Amino acid sequence: MQTERHVIAALNQTRNQLSILQPEDKDTIIQAGASLEAVIHEIPENCRSAIEAVTLCLHALQTIYQGGYADFEKLLKAVTANLVAVEQALGAPPNPISEMLLKQGEQKLKAELENKSTAAENVKAIEKAKVLTLNDIASWLVQTEAEDKTEIAAICEAIKKISAEEKVVEKRKLLVKSARELTRIVNGKTSDAFETFNLVGELIDQVNSADEPAEISVNSIQEKAQAVVSDPETAELQNEIPAEKSVKTNENSKATAVSGEKLEGDILASDMDAGLVSEFVMESREMLEAGESALLALETDPNDIENVNTVFRAFHTIKGTAAYLGLKRLTELAHHAESLLSRIRDREINCTGGYANLALRSLDVLKEMLDAVEGAKVETAMSLPAGYGNLLAILKDPEANGVDGKTDFQPAVSANSETVKVQKEEVAEAVEEGKADERTEAYEPSKAAEFSKEIAVLREEDAENLLNQEKSQTKKAAASGSDSSVRVRTDRLDRLIDMVGELVIAQSMLAQDATVVQGIHHELSRKISHAGKIVRELQDLSMGMRMIPLKNTFQKMARLVRDVAKKCGKQVEFVTEGEDTEIDRNMVDFISDPLVHMVRNAVDHGIERPGIRQEKGKSAMGTVRLSAYHAGGDVVVELTDDGAGLDAEKLVAKAIAKNLIESDKGMSESEIFKLIFAPGFSTAEILTDVSGRGVGMDVVRRNIEAMRGRIEINSEKGKGSVFTIRLPLTLAITDGMLIRVGAEKYIVPTVNIQMSFQPNQKMLSSVNGRGELVSLRGELMPIFRVHELFDVQNAIEDPTKGLLMIVADGRRRCALLVDELLGQQQVVTKTLGQGIGKINGVSGGAILGDGCVGLILDTAEIVALARQNTSAVDRKEDLIQQAA
Amino acid sequence: MTNEATAQQAKTEIKNRHAGKFLSFFLKQEEYGIEILKVQEIIGLLPITRVPRTPEYMRGVINLRGKIIPVTELRSKFGMEEREETAETCIIVVETSGLEIGVIVDKVSEVLDISAAEIEDVPSFGTEVSTDYLLGIGNTNGRVRLLLDIDRILTVKEAAELHNVAASVA
Repeated sequence: MQTERHVIAALNQTRNQLSILQPEDKDTIIQAGASLEAVIHEIPENCRSAIEAVTLCLHALQTIYQGGYADFEKLLKAVTANLVAVEQALGAPPNPISEMLLKQGEQKLKAELENKSTAAENVKAIEKAKVLTLNDIASWLVQTEAEDKTEIAAICEAIKKISAEEKVVEKRKLLVKSARELTRIVNGKTSDAFETFNLVGELIDQVNSADEPAEISVNSIQEKAQAVVSDPETAELQNEIPAEKSVKTNENSKATAVSGEKLEGDILASDMDAGLVSEFVMESREMLEAGESALLALETDPNDIENVNTVFRAFHTIKGTAAYLGLKRLTELAHHAESLLSRIRDREINCTGGYANLALRSLDVLKEMLDAVEGAKVETAMSLPAGYGNLLAILKDPEANGVDGKTDFQPAVSANSETVKVQKEEVAEAVEEGKADERTEAYEPSKAAEFSKEIAVLREEDAENLLNQEKSQTKKAAASGSDSSVRVRTDRLDRLIDMVGELVIAQSMLAQDATVVQGIHHELSRKISHAGKIVRELQDLSMGMRMIPLKNTFQKMARLVRDVAKKCGKQVEFVTEGEDTEIDRNMVDFISDPLVHMVRNAVDHGIERPGIRQEKGKSAMGTVRLSAYHAGGDVVVELTDDGAGLDAEKLVAKAIAKNLIESDKGMSESEIFKLIFAPGFSTAEILTDVSGRGVGMDVVRRNIEAMRGRIEINSEKGKGSVFTIRLPLTLAITDGMLIRVGAEKYIVPTVNIQMSFQPNQKMLSSVNGRGELVSLRGELMPIFRVHELFDVQNAIEDPTKGLLMIVADGRRRCALLVDELLGQQQVVTKTLGQGIGKINGVSGGAILGDGCVGLILDTAEIVALARQNTSAVDRKEDLIQQAA
Repeated sequence: MTNEATAQQAKTEIKNRHAGKFLSFFLKQEEYGIEILKVQEIIGLLPITRVPRTPEYMRGVINLRGKIIPVTELRSKFGMEEREETAETCIIVVETSGLEIGVIVDKVSEVLDISAAEIEDVPSFGTEVSTDYLLGIGNTNGRVRLLLDIDRILTVKEAAELHNVAASVA
């Protein structure tokens, strides 16, 4: 009841809208049409007449839109009267009075609609009467409605003409018969205009195809004709008539309005997100598969409510997503299938026999439609699967179509006899030709499909043909590599990538083997280098497997910008660029957090309030731009805002106050900006007076460093800032520098090394015996000896003979003393195994070119370790001094 | 009496459970055994990368076909003096509770069946020597082998007392 109330409200609103409608106001018409369409889906199935009435109203709106009305006022009146009737019918329990009202409204509207077209179509009809081929008549017939007597009379004339010229007796007989039937319709002598009309269609087709297989089929049709004419009631229920046909008769006799509706496939909007659609298709397929197995299980155990729910959920979810994507046909089918399932769930019916078949058939058709969606081009109507219309009609009211829980219902088209198949081809041809003129008519793209009148039966046949074509096309597409996908567990993928990494190293070990390098065995080196190429390609491929675009991350930011901007009362435009840039999926989570912080800061602290911006001569609307691109083997993510920018002077003052630095002497601008990454350096306090829930930028820095990335800041006061994050493409492979300390080899991630140099004696000094310092261009840095920290024997102890490697630990830089750099190497990071636990200063291990394990150093940890040690020494010294 | 009987029963049960195939190996002149089911493979000595800031018995890590596994030296774990590596020195890769760890021993001897009857209780050596790391003492044909509880040995830091056990039994 609740849905109905909400539907009534919607109807009411639409009616109000329409009551003040002007014929030129096309926007309102479209709006009203859209809301009526929505209403159709909401009306419960048992109010079929209401659905029909609303459909008719839609039709009328379309007419109004196209300007094809005779009397605008009258037509509009009829529409609103009809809507009132629907409202009343829905508001009350089913009763004869409201039914009658509906009927009256419908008739009025129909009369009005016919009125509109008579004038225009009379001309057409006369023109068409000149046409002489049977094909044309067939297509003409298809486009004509059973009630349109003028048109029918014209057709009748044309048939008579042809029959006079026809030389084959059998054909002439059929034609004369057709003409007679049509005259009966015109004169109103037939008991069921639709039946007769369809019959004529079949007769003409028979004549058309009577060249060879004539005899049997003609007979069968004639028999059928007999049956229809003699007793339309029983013919309708007769099982001998192929299932599809019987369904169509049902459709035609019961749902007049619906049969007039053209079944056009779904259309993908041009601005539709392709990724979204493919995700929808993939997910839906998975759900349908689950639904299918649940349905099959249900047949053996109809009481398993969990399985019912699974199927229900599948339909429900598909319905929701399809509606969101604007796929009306899919939505409609899923909606009705869902209703069927909900009846099963409520134990109104059991999922057996016909119902089970019906549900399974719905799954199949949905699957086909998903295939169509996948292969669909933008702005082009997708083909509908064969039997879509039937299925929908049956789903809407299974009982009326002879479906029950006992007998096996076979809605499949395959039940048709040979004869029907032959006919179908002919009919399809006819449609093909008929469509030619139809296409020349200019349609209002999105709505036209829904309104345009067309006989559903032939449309469907047409759709089937199209589908077959499409199928062969899809197969071709699949062969040429469409983007279907397979879900793989991440740990397997990771292992694969690891193994490929090992393969790369094993290959390079082979390539560096003395035997190969000697250059004596040319053939061998050639083979090895060939293998090397393959291995490298394999590596690229496997790396690519784990790459996903940054799109989702960026989309999250868009939402964030909107929310934060609203909260702060700022106007911000968020622009993204290069969101298709791919990055290792393991890093996506890592990058999301820092980005959230940075974007929020950019909006909260970077962009000024609209008033302030205007004072400064900027536009009130601030811009935050998030872009990503590849550069030099890195992924670069850039966050640009045109806000206030960073104030270097304020930063320095704050840093001095916080005792982070002594003075800004010798500090470059970018170094000053980097102060904001220092722990405890709240951005809110520095940048703006917006009260400080400043987010720790040190979190940002730490996260980025954990990914072995770097962050740079460029900013101009008053003009805005640019935060540039550079990340490696993948975490699996580390760009490392191989260093030697004594006999030990270590790997230091290249990103952590700022520079390395051999100091001379003048640069070195020691402070009070506490520690060594090196002075590089005026900057004093402590020296930490790796060999001491790691207890390595036989290492170089004199810094002037060794090498100082400058690393940064965030706040300050310091120098590590190593023996030498051996060169750069890409390595695959691995854990040292749980058996050994966490080692301070070592982030993992890697297999080196010679097959040994090399330890990967964590410079930040080493520096922390060294600081601890020195401070321990300091304390000891202090104690000794005190004791003395 | 009943208590003693149950204790006895419990001991037999333990022995029954431990009975089975053992891999025996030498450290110095002493022979030890570990359950064969824990042994994954035996490999020759590979280049070992020293890992700084770890206990001395932790020799480092090796590359086992692309996998990095840590290697411990039982000699130093048991407080024995270091010895030059020989051709017989090898690494037994054991798997304990999901971890793979290499164990360096002087020489692998044989795989043998030890029946429950051949397993003797660990004699008590007073409080100074912990015998927690032993499953029991296998005595077959007069040859004594210390049956190690390798899970425990690899998860505790010091097992130096074991050496003393071996000495007193021998």
